[in-house]
Amino acid sequence: MMTASPGSLADRTLRLLRHPVLRRLAQAFFVAFLLMVFAFLLIRLIPGDPAMILLGDEATEEDVIAYRKLLGIDGSIPSQFGRYVSNLARGDFGVSIRSREQVLSIVQKRLPISLWLTVTTIFMTVLLALPLGVAAALYRRTWFGHAFQIGASVLVATPVFFSGLVLILLFAVQANLAPIAGYHAGFPANLYYLWLPALTINFVLVPVLARILQSSIVETSSEEFVEAAIIRGTQGWRFYWRYLLRPSLAPTIAALGYFAATVVSYAVIIEIIFNLPGIGMTLVDAVRNRDYPLVQGIVFLSGLLVVGLTFMADLVNGWLDPRAKIR
Amino acid sequence: MTPGSIGVSPVGRLRRVELRRRWRQLNAESRWGLVILALILVLSIFVPLLSPNDAYEFVDLPLQPPSAALPFGSDHLGRDLLVRVFAAARLDIALAILGVSVPIVIGTFIGTLAGTTRNPIAETVWDGLVNALTAFPEIILVLGIVAMVGADVRGLLIAIWISRWAQYARIARAKSLALRDAEFVQAAQVLGYSQMRILVRHIMPNVFSEALAYALSDFIFIIVIIGGLSFLGLGVNPPTPEWGAMLAEGRLYLRTEPWLILFPGFFLSLTAIGVALLARGLERISKGEDE
Repeated sequence: MMTASPGSLADRTLRLLRHPVLRRLAQAFFVAFLLMVFAFLLIRLIPGDPAMILLGDEATEEDVIAYRKLLGIDGSIPSQFGRYVSNLARGDFGVSIRSREQVLSIVQKRLPISLWLTVTTIFMTVLLALPLGVAAALYRRTWFGHAFQIGASVLVATPVFFSGLVLILLFAVQANLAPIAGYHAGFPANLYYLWLPALTINFVLVPVLARILQSSIVETSSEEFVEAAIIRGTQGWRFYWRYLLRPSLAPTIAALGYFAATVVSYAVIIEIIFNLPGIGMTLVDAVRNRDYPLVQGIVFLSGLLVVGLTFMADLVNGWLDPRAKIR
Repeated sequence: MTPGSIGVSPVGRLRRVELRRRWRQLNAESRWGLVILALILVLSIFVPLLSPNDAYEFVDLPLQPPSAALPFGSDHLGRDLLVRVFAAARLDIALAILGVSVPIVIGTFIGTLAGTTRNPIAETVWDGLVNALTAFPEIILVLGIVAMVGADVRGLLIAIWISRWAQYARIARAKSLALRDAEFVQAAQVLGYSQMRILVRHIMPNVFSEALAYALSDFIFIIVIIGGLSFLGLGVNPPTPEWGAMLAEGRLYLRTEPWLILFPGFFLSLTAIGVALLARGLERISKGEDE
């Protein structure tokens, strides 16, 4: 990319456009566009007239018309879609029916809590899954390897809303190491409220990732370049990091990107169990209140978030493992 | 079903030999999975059948600890928790089977259709479509659909059907891409069979086995979603016995009467674990990983 390339500007632009990262980016934008279409169609799944459902039978004609306008369902479908897209482009995700507040400003208010939960979770995941995966690969023929396999199968299948309640029972009610529920903002203090919810999500996430890491380390260790490194006499940390761990990390990072959707999903239930007022709790409240615009906005934004995270995981992947070409 | 009739007839004997042979081919994981699932099925059939108590009936004082008369104790309304846990098992397993079976058929059909078409534009659009649908965090998409369709069993099933077919379509497409040039497909084309007949009778059966393998892990996910949404009060509603809804009710008594969540949660997890073990065991057999 740095070498001066002959040829016209058009040639160079064309070559740049063929760059895999850009192509992947274009794909991500296409997917984002389709997400928008899905979110737009979502409100059309409502059986009957949404305005009538919200207002009840005694609604006046003017109220119904005003509500249709609020929901963006007045006029023809193409004109509705055009308005929806141009509003989104201006950052207007509609207005919550309950509080009459902008959807985006509600999300901005609640998002930090969910982000803190996600960051704490991922931090804990890396801290737990790396040593576990490596240990499970190195000692896979011993009792530890077998216990790891069985334990992983059991933990993966346990629903978070049950393991969360059991963890509250153990750590909050019995041992008093965490609050039963609730949240206070502010960096070091909020970890006291977040570590147990994060641990609950990791009860599912760590076994999955550690297992992927384990099997990819096992796979890598039979590669020729590992043998060559051993023959050359590479030893110690350099051997473990450069020849064993780094080439094995790619599938795990890819999986972490793939499981971003799962983390965001479980976070919804976790927020309810631990009473954390994040996006998940907002969504569940919105579903209970039939706050259609708020639901629509959160569903779309969460999809966007996952597309972004998957894209980032792909980039990190390409950097970590030269074999994994971005397609 | 009576042991005598099977033991006498030669066909029955053959079937039993066959079953025993199959059982021997399994590894430890899949055997444990089958044993756990059989246990839960038997209990869920016979416990509500044989118990003198009804799942909706008030039989004792509320919140009684487990005893000889009520092995799992009574819930916050004084109903028999044992009967409710296994009545819930029936409902949850039935709903999960319903939740898996519709997407597998729809997804496999759509995926096979997409895999056998040779239109490049259709392929690009298809990729984006499936990627977009699978980009939504699962539970959030289900919640979004439930919000629109209605927070009850019907809404929950529709939401699962809409959101889960894409994975099967992805699998079916990959498999049918490899199959569309297979010799038996060409033979069927030479015989002049219609496109539809080749699709449904010749390609789909071969795609199905792969989709079924995925269906086992999807089953775990769907039973968790059904429990999860009912836990949030957006799926199966009380007083119907359902594991997730029972956990939500019992959660209020966590401090003093923990068995209210421990029993339903344990059997919900056990069901999912049984399926997970079976799925993993079968996967390892098909990969030939067993030493």
